[in-house]
Amino acid sequence: MIPSAMASSTETALESLHHIKSTEPPEWLVPKQELSQAVRAASKLLFSSLKPYCPKSPFDQLLTEGFDVEQIWQQIDLQSQPLLSSLRREVKKFEKHPEEISKLKDGGVGGGEKKKKVLEQIETDNVVNDDEDDDDMDMDEDDDDEEEEDEEGEEEEKERGTEEESENEGEEKGGIEDKFLKIKELQEYLEEDEAREFGLKKKKTKAESKKEEEDTEEEGDDDDEEDENEGSEDDDDEAEEEEDELGLFDGNDEEDEDDLENARYEDFFSRKKNKSSKEKAKSRDMLEEDSGSDDEQDVDKRKDGPSKHEKELDKLRSKIEEMEKANLDPKVWTMRGEVTAAQRQKNSALEVDLDFEHNVRPAPVITEEVTASLEDLIKTRISEGLFDDVQKARTSSSKAPREIKELDESKSKKALAEVYEEEFVQKTDPASALLTFSDELKKEASMLFKKLCLKLDALSHFHFTPKPVVEDMSIQTNVPALAMEEIAPMAVSDAAMLAPEEVFSGKGDIKEEAELTKAERKRRRANKKRKFKAEAAKRMGKKA
Amino acid sequence: MEIETVPSESKPESNPLPPKPKFEPLKAHEMSDGRVQFRKVSVPPHRYSPLKKYWMDIYTPVYEQMKIDIRMNLKARKVELKTRQDTPDISNLQKCADFVQAFMLGFDVPDAIALLRLDELYVESFEIKDVKTLRGEHLSRAIGRLSGKGGKTKFAIENSTKTRTVIADTKIHILGSFANIKIARDSLCSLILGSPAGKVYSKLRQVSARLAERF
Repeated sequence: MIPSAMASSTETALESLHHIKSTEPPEWLVPKQELSQAVRAASKLLFSSLKPYCPKSPFDQLLTEGFDVEQIWQQIDLQSQPLLSSLRREVKKFEKHPEEISKLKDGGVGGGEKKKKVLEQIETDNVVNDDEDDDDMDMDEDDDDEEEEDEEGEEEEKERGTEEESENEGEEKGGIEDKFLKIKELQEYLEEDEAREFGLKKKKTKAESKKEEEDTEEEGDDDDEEDENEGSEDDDDEAEEEEDELGLFDGNDEEDEDDLENARYEDFFSRKKNKSSKEKAKSRDMLEEDSGSDDEQDVDKRKDGPSKHEKELDKLRSKIEEMEKANLDPKVWTMRGEVTAAQRQKNSALEVDLDFEHNVRPAPVITEEVTASLEDLIKTRISEGLFDDVQKARTSSSKAPREIKELDESKSKKALAEVYEEEFVQKTDPASALLTFSDELKKEASMLFKKLCLKLDALSHFHFTPKPVVEDMSIQTNVPALAMEEIAPMAVSDAAMLAPEEVFSGKGDIKEEAELTKAERKRRRANKKRKFKAEAAKRMGKKA
Repeated sequence: MEIETVPSESKPESNPLPPKPKFEPLKAHEMSDGRVQFRKVSVPPHRYSPLKKYWMDIYTPVYEQMKIDIRMNLKARKVELKTRQDTPDISNLQKCADFVQAFMLGFDVPDAIALLRLDELYVESFEIKDVKTLRGEHLSRAIGRLSGKGGKTKFAIENSTKTRTVIADTKIHILGSFANIKIARDSLCSLILGSPAGKVYSKLRQVSARLAERF
């Protein structure tokens, strides 16, 4: 039951597969029920046919009834991922050990039909690829169709060799590629650019070398591929160019190295063959256009153009000339030493990033935090009573301050005669030292204070301890000590109470201003200036 | 007064010289051949009424202590002084004349009396224009500077230097001893020349302190 059913299903699937192949590409643009059904059947067939190759797959067959497109795709993906990785491993192995391929080849001879199928599938794949490209470019497309085509494409890819796989790798970098970015297009552009720079001959030689590499590779890999190369020139050229695209990434080093080694007759005189093959290739491929144009350019340059070496020399020469010219010209203002504003252009200093020392501290940025911190500090200081007041430096006086003679600004109550009389009396009779003006005031003050104290003491019933008498100012008249003690001195002694330095503290000959000579006046002024300068210097030293 | 001739003959070695004659000092009256000495002091019109007011204060010491005759010649507007017979010293007349002159300059009588009592007192007069030529407002300001507010600068100078000053418009008279006059004069001159009163005070203070310490 089941095998017959299976057989019938496979038949229908094959039918549907053929149906798909035969449909024109535009028909895929419009969603059609029958087409989707056919595709589903075909996918099922493919899935089951691949089943034996992947042991890890959980599904025995592709479940399509009642399943979403997404789900179908997931199933296929589940199967294909490990399969692809295993295939890649196999290919790498074959690369390293070509002898194993021969074993496979022997085994595979029997399956020639299979190979043919493979060939067919390659062709369809190409179609599908193109379709895919178109579909990718078109925006309004049914998701179903797109994905199913992808599925198909991917399934077919598995059965192909290195060539296609490399391309598929490019395609599977689906993460990078999208509507806007195409690795293929990028490669084409790079190729174009490099061709412009280095001359197309190189590209051609490279292409030939690549072809040879391919040949060697493919010889190792697969006989059929070789056949392909000879037979289907389309593929060959495409493959070539695809290799080119990828190979260009490797760099032009190869190019240069292979240049001389692999230069052959074909490089120079096999233009016709390539041209014709190119024309045969599909028109839609952008590559073709490029390569066509490249060919023409290449032909021209081959005969007249300078060699690469010459070109490089030219470049160097031009560079040297430029540099020499620059050296001869006057330097840019930034390269000169000290430049004033007049020597450079207006506002030219704005364009240059100048760096200079700022000798001033930058003004503090007042932010809310700063003010808050300051205010807190102030508050704490006030609460503690910790003010940084300046403390007066008390000059320690060794002796008591002498009484300062006050300048009386009121009209003298004594007549001049009386003044001189007193003076005379003082001279002759030293004991009778009359009170000075300040003494009188003090007497008056003390009298007042005594009266006040009496009243206050009466309040406290005369129970008090009097304060000790503290003498803060000592008045010393320059009167002989003997005179102070004795009321009526019989003799007057020379020993005056005040020591000579207390009488007058000064150095040298005291002269009034009018008595000074010119030189002495100058000397005095110079001394004063020196003192002032020293003081000023000390002050500056303190500040800084 | 008789003039006694010295004996022309002198005895030879054997005889010593005759004793030198001893003359007593001449009295004021005997001087200039017995004629009377006069002094006349003119009275400026602004001192007329103060003279009338203080006449007795002037008259008494002159007549009593100095023993000089004094009178006021109203017609001539002069005060006349004359020696008497019992005037002890000729200098009395001069002192009295100075005393009266001081009064006429503007000094008070008690201040002027110091002239009578002390020998070494003098009166020095000078004008503002002697120090610096000032005109108009500057002159007025200089005079103001000299006196100070309520006369305090003037009194400060007087008290510190033991002098008496009279500032009569542009004329300045200073009464005192020589050194004191000098100090007072210096202070006044500096004031005229424009220094502020404070500066003058500080200088005065120094000077007076030095004066007080000097013995």
